[in-house]
Amino acid sequence: MPVGLVMLGGGAVAGAFGSLLGLGGGILIVPLLTLGFGLSLPEAVGVSLVSVIMTSSAAAGVYLERHVANLRLGMTLELFTASGALIGGLVAVAIDERLLSILFAGLLAYVAFTMARAPRAEHGPEIDSLDEHDDDSPLAPTLDRLSGAGYRVRNLGRGVVGATGAGVASALFGIGGGIIKVPLMNLAMGVPLRVATATSNLMIGITAAASAVIYLFRGEIDPYVAGPTAIGVFIGATLGSRLGHRIELRYLRILFVVVLLYTAFQMLMRGLK
Amino acid sequence: MSGPSIARTPADDRELKGVAALAEFRIGRLMIAMTYASVAVLVIGVALMVAAGISPLSGGPTFDASQLIAELTSMSPVGFLWLGLVIVIATPIVRVIGAAISYGLASQGTMVAIAVAILVVIVAGVAIAATGSV
Repeated sequence: MPVGLVMLGGGAVAGAFGSLLGLGGGILIVPLLTLGFGLSLPEAVGVSLVSVIMTSSAAAGVYLERHVANLRLGMTLELFTASGALIGGLVAVAIDERLLSILFAGLLAYVAFTMARAPRAEHGPEIDSLDEHDDDSPLAPTLDRLSGAGYRVRNLGRGVVGATGAGVASALFGIGGGIIKVPLMNLAMGVPLRVATATSNLMIGITAAASAVIYLFRGEIDPYVAGPTAIGVFIGATLGSRLGHRIELRYLRILFVVVLLYTAFQMLMRGLK
Repeated sequence: MSGPSIARTPADDRELKGVAALAEFRIGRLMIAMTYASVAVLVIGVALMVAAGISPLSGGPTFDASQLIAELTSMSPVGFLWLGLVIVIATPIVRVIGAAISYGLASQGTMVAIAVAILVVIVAGVAIAATGSV
């Protein structure tokens, strides 16, 4: 079955890229399945969500074992990402597929832009100073409970709004939403980058699951496509996490930006047809 | 009528934190185990697919939970594929259930309420999609 092998291989490449560059891989799976195999966008999003959950769960398990992720903060924000994903999953059927393709092209261009400037942007508070404004707020005890060793969570309101938006984006585009959640927690909420990355990974699973169940019961997940693709993504993500330290990420990042921009153009053309 | 209130001591807090930390470790282990189990089941499903000469682009059936056991016992590829996919989707949900139990054991009512609220959102999604409201 050459088609199945190509699907598995494509999933592996998407998973490896995602793992090496800190993305879930969903950003490449949807274009692969729509542009490469002619699937409809909702079908591709359903398969992508399953693949994203698989890679997230494996990594999140390790983060939980090692106590790197902030489970309290993650679960608090998950309530809003899951709600956003529920809204996105319900709204997705009402949006014209061509419009969705154009929106996806915009998302790809945004991610390409973010990746291109990532070396300068990946800075955030390692140990946060106390926020005087939040100290006076009625949310101060809650923020204390959500904080971890060496840092203090702040701007919970912004976190809630951003998490809801990340959930909607996840359900509409089949992505994990880490590209939104990590900067949100790191730059806006004062969570150290390592903890933000681990916590985002933890949240991706439930965010994607909230909309994946909708796609599943609506009959938009094809098991014959999802099986090989998810296995490929898992293999690619596992290899990527093991090879990460041996690969020059600078050139890979440039290649990824080029691939994203090309894919964005193709998705835009698909939407404008 | 309420009994005498007993203040929680630092030793109690340490014990509760220990319970939560152990629970996190166990939940992490469970998630890893479920992920590998789902991969194994999906690999069987794909192998059966290949053996049966089914193309991934032939258009698979929609999910029907009532058929799952029959499909598995008849070694149908789609049965194993659906089981693998259901385990994948269930893994983060099981993590939330596990967290709710562990926070319950650690007497952290707010976190239990948050976990239950997340599960309500998931169930609402299933109910809306399954009843064809969308």
